[in-house]
Amino acid sequence: MMAFYFSRLVEIYPFFLKGLLMTSKIAFISLISCTLIGFVLGIARSSNNLILKRVVGVYVAFVRGTPFVVQIFIIFFILPEWGLQLEAFPAALLAMAIMGSAFICEIVAGGINSIPKGQWEAATSSGLTLIQQLRLVIVPQAMKVILPPLVGQYVLLIKDTSVVSVIGVMELTRVGWVTVVRIPEGLMVFSLVGVLYFSISYPLILLSNYLERRMAVQ
Amino acid sequence: MIEFKNVNKWFGKLHVLNNINLKISKGEVLVICGPSGSGKSTLIRCINRLEKIQDGEIIVNSSLVHKKSSNLTQLRGEIGFVFQQFHLYPHMTVLQNIMLAPVNVKKISKKEAEKISMKKLDQVGLTGKSGAYPAQLSGGQQQRVAIARGLAMSPEIMLFDEPTSALDPEMIGEVLDVMVNLVSEGMTMCVVTHEMGFAKKVADRVLFMDEGMIVETGTPDEFFDSPKTDRAAEFISKILTH
Ligand SMILES: Nc1ncnc2c1ncn2[C@@H]1O[C@H](COP(=O)(O)OP(=O)(O)O)[C@@H](O)[C@H]1O
Ligand SMILES: [Mg+2]
Repeated sequence: MMAFYFSRLVEIYPFFLKGLLMTSKIAFISLISCTLIGFVLGIARSSNNLILKRVVGVYVAFVRGTPFVVQIFIIFFILPEWGLQLEAFPAALLAMAIMGSAFICEIVAGGINSIPKGQWEAATSSGLTLIQQLRLVIVPQAMKVILPPLVGQYVLLIKDTSVVSVIGVMELTRVGWVTVVRIPEGLMVFSLVGVLYFSISYPLILLSNYLERRMAVQ
Repeated sequence: MIEFKNVNKWFGKLHVLNNINLKISKGEVLVICGPSGSGKSTLIRCINRLEKIQDGEIIVNSSLVHKKSSNLTQLRGEIGFVFQQFHLYPHMTVLQNIMLAPVNVKKISKKEAEKISMKKLDQVGLTGKSGAYPAQLSGGQQQRVAIARGLAMSPEIMLFDEPTSALDPEMIGEVLDVMVNLVSEGMTMCVVTHEMGFAKKVADRVLFMDEGMIVETGTPDEFFDSPKTDRAAEFISKILTH
């Protein structure tokens, strides 16, 4: 029986590839959007502007303090009541962007806050604009602190894409669910799903370990 | 060139600058001394608006520093600032440290900026160190790079906040020598320092601060040899026994 199911599974491998492609697509777009938004929020969070700091702080606390599944449900099922109807795919991307950027915001703010005040003062005194100070002096130094946990966060975000299966996006986890109904070998099906996730996240885990070691040396 | 008119500043309840009136003319060398916490750093940090004042006026080269509308980029380009702790950019080489502001603030070409920077590096006696990183330099060398970094913008004014206080004694001389050379070039300078030798040698005027007020001013000889106030006398005897 098992051999039979295995051959069925092999037959439907294009279905899994499609799921893998969708997962990769969501992950790729999300990592980029989360990074961009996360850096902007992180810079705002570490700024001297108290209002900005507070507003971003509330955003981050709210996102970190609620389950991702609930956030997706809010976006997919509750926003339409307020007139914002989103398809599953854009809803998934929006949810990922909101959740991921909040975590990256904290990582970036932590990195920026680790830079001594004197670096800001030297850059300010020389006439650099605020953007130049960040771009040329502060962020390049903060990257040493930011990079290892950032890549670690990427791994978490890739795995979190599985949660968007709850609103019907046909990504890897969803593919697993749909398959297991027809091929009732849960261990086999979800092992395959797990291996496919691992194939995307493992390179990043290696990168994270490498960065961790390299930064520790410096 | 620099003028303070009835300047007041508070940090919360602390009246850190108490009705400061001060005029510094072109080419003048002013030494500021006084006990720790008396407001010396705050005073010179107001000149390039690293600190904002709450009351009064500060005028530098006819730009109104206290006004929100003042052109800070231009102002800061005209003023070099040297910190006690150097604050070189650790991720850049010596040359990159010096070139950064000329290229990004003055928008001059990299080639031109490099030429200027090498000249300034030569001026502080560190020609061979252009490719080194700050961490590879001694404290005295780092502070000289910091001075070159300030000079690279061709400022009219140089501000120094205890430039030798963080240095090992054997390195103080090399930094003071660079500063003395600047004086001979006619640079306008405000120097917070307790180096009496430096003050006596090059300062036009010594300003003594205590508790946010200018308590006494005079020529270096007047001030150190026959201070007018008890507070100054007490302070001088303290730095002498140090
Ligand atoms: N950013 C700040 N916030 C609050 N208090 C400050 C700040 N900077 C300096 N002070 C206080 O102002 C006083 C004067 O400081 P400062 O100008 O650094 O003195 P000095 O350079 O003469 O030692 C000190 O009591 C110091 O603690
Ligand atoms: Mg000070």
